Amino acid sequence: MTIHEKTNEIKSQESGGLFQNLRNNGLSDPQTRTKMMERLRDNVPFIAITLVILLFWGISGDRFMSLRNWTFIAQQTPVLLLLAFALLLVVTTGSIDISVGSNLGFSAYMAALGMLWFGTMGFLVGIFAGVLIGILNGVIFSLFKISSFVTTLAMLIIVRAVLVIVSDGRSIYVSDQPMSNSNITSIEAKWLLDLGQFPHILYVSIAITFLLWVVYEKTIFGQQLKALGGNEKVLRLAGISVTWFKIQVFAAAGFMVGLASFINLARSGAATVQAGQMQELDAIAAVALGGTVLTGGHGSVLKTVVGALTLTIVANGLTIAGVPPSWSMIARGVLLIIAIAISLNRKQIDVVK
Amino acid sequence: MLDQQPILEVEDVSKSFGGVQALKSGSFKLSRGEVIAIIGANGAGKSSLIKIVAGVYKPDKGHITIKDTVIDPMHHNVGYMRQMGIEVVYQDLAIVPNMTAPYNLFLGRIPRKFGIFVDERKMRKKTEEVLAELKVKTVQSLSRPISEMSGGQQQSIAIGRAIAWGKEIVILDEPTAALGPNETKEVERVVHEIKDRGTAVILISHNLEQVFRLADRILVVHHGITSKEFQKTEVTIDELVKAITLG
Ligand SMILES: Nc1ncnc2c1ncn2[C@@H]1O[C@H](COP(=O)(O)OP(=O)(O)OP(=O)(O)O)[C@@H](O)[C@H]1O
Ligand SMILES: [Mg+2]
Repeated sequence: MTIHEKTNEIKSQESGGLFQNLRNNGLSDPQTRTKMMERLRDNVPFIAITLVILLFWGISGDRFMSLRNWTFIAQQTPVLLLLAFALLLVVTTGSIDISVGSNLGFSAYMAALGMLWFGTMGFLVGIFAGVLIGILNGVIFSLFKISSFVTTLAMLIIVRAVLVIVSDGRSIYVSDQPMSNSNITSIEAKWLLDLGQFPHILYVSIAITFLLWVVYEKTIFGQQLKALGGNEKVLRLAGISVTWFKIQVFAAAGFMVGLASFINLARSGAATVQAGQMQELDAIAAVALGGTVLTGGHGSVLKTVVGALTLTIVANGLTIAGVPPSWSMIARGVLLIIAIAISLNRKQIDVVK
Repeated sequence: MLDQQPILEVEDVSKSFGGVQALKSGSFKLSRGEVIAIIGANGAGKSSLIKIVAGVYKPDKGHITIKDTVIDPMHHNVGYMRQMGIEVVYQDLAIVPNMTAPYNLFLGRIPRKFGIFVDERKMRKKTEEVLAELKVKTVQSLSRPISEMSGGQQQSIAIGRAIAWGKEIVILDEPTAALGPNETKEVERVVHEIKDRGTAVILISHNLEQVFRLADRILVVHHGITSKEFQKTEVTIDELVKAITLG
């Protein structure tokens, strides 16, 4: 093609009318480069987890890359994963929920109390508790128009305090046989402890992950999450009831926390006052490591799984490598910033607050 | 010829926000297949007036009548007005940027499968139909975010939505302010098409030449009052400019 022809082609593209212009023009070189950068950015979670695995394999060898250790990782990830799912729902809409850790502790305790009072099915009380806290978050945030950060920060404090009051500081234990010691409160539920072990805990996590993927990718609800994160004003002008939807989103997140608390009870074998403390931070980190931009509009269930796994693997790998806990925390913080730095498209960002 | 039976009648509506009276008194009528242009200085109250018609704001006083039915304040909301066949293209708020073209075309009307699932095939099919009706040849990536398209292309989807569902009235708030000359021409062609099929059009525009090209009647809003009304054939640009500035 001669330069002349090329110029003509560009001219004819420019003079195409509004609707003719919808044709997707061939990519010129800078666009191809942008596309490649985008693809790289899209795959940051997968690249990160691969690097992390290779790194720890290199450092600790078979002590890291053993069936036993991977079984352990498979048991450690689910609670964090479900909390990250709760956050994924909320973050996709452009809001945040930092009350998930407190909610986890509270819901787990309510599940244990429920089982104490009503037997096996009493665990549902915990799920209800999770949803209830979610609805409360949603109502305060959406109806009273208090920012989600402030609302859920307040809830983080209040719910933890309520847990202290309700429990009076006493833990409830789960045991696989009748307990004779009357000084400690316990429930007998072997099935629950089994559920907390490999491989059952893995099956449950996979099932929940699949269901959430369907909800997130295929349903009206999932689509609305992303749209709300895109531009709330446009939705309102189109007559979509955003207020009610936001309450639903926080309720759904609360439901996820309810499930997480149940798995946590199964995994740890006890409902304690401290359960879930600081876990909101891990959950936010997992979502961010999963490539979800905290300003909303986009997200991925699969990548959130990768994010949660990465975080668990890093904690696990550092422990095996003999790194002291404080240094391990610093390493995880640095990893978080690097991951977000790579996944952001800085060209599209005008203002950072 | 125009059907003289009015499809929309706005009678003395007003709207305040806190202390600010955005609209003091708005009145006008609109017939089938008629194009009315609303002009006025910045902040005169044009957008507030059409947002009342669109159901975004309930008027503080006055009322509007659509097809001989006085709209009950209980029903005065966007959902109801959209059901009545009224669609709006807002200048800055026409599309959800991170969503696809089909989503934006179906905004607020996403077709469902089994009650909870998105019927993506139906959306894609209808999108292709609507784009064909707009004489759009091909859109390659219907599954990519609409923000990857040009401003004109995005606007075409927003207008496509208004045409597809705005059977009675299509409201365009500064539809070409952000567009280039060719894209503007294209929008103007579409306005003629909407008019020809019998849909009424309300056009807000600062471009008086465009107003003369498109409108049958011109309504001037001045300090929150619909102060003057002209037949296009009976007015000059100078007279309009005077009406805009002096009321
Ligand atoms: N939601 C609102 N809250 C407070 N004041 C508002 C609101 N909407 C409009 N106003 C005020 O009401 C007045 C009329 O606004 P409106 O948007 O209707 O004007 P306009 O004629 O559309 O102007 P422009 O040509 O700039 O779009 C302005 O002074 C505006 O600041
Ligand atoms: Mg305006």
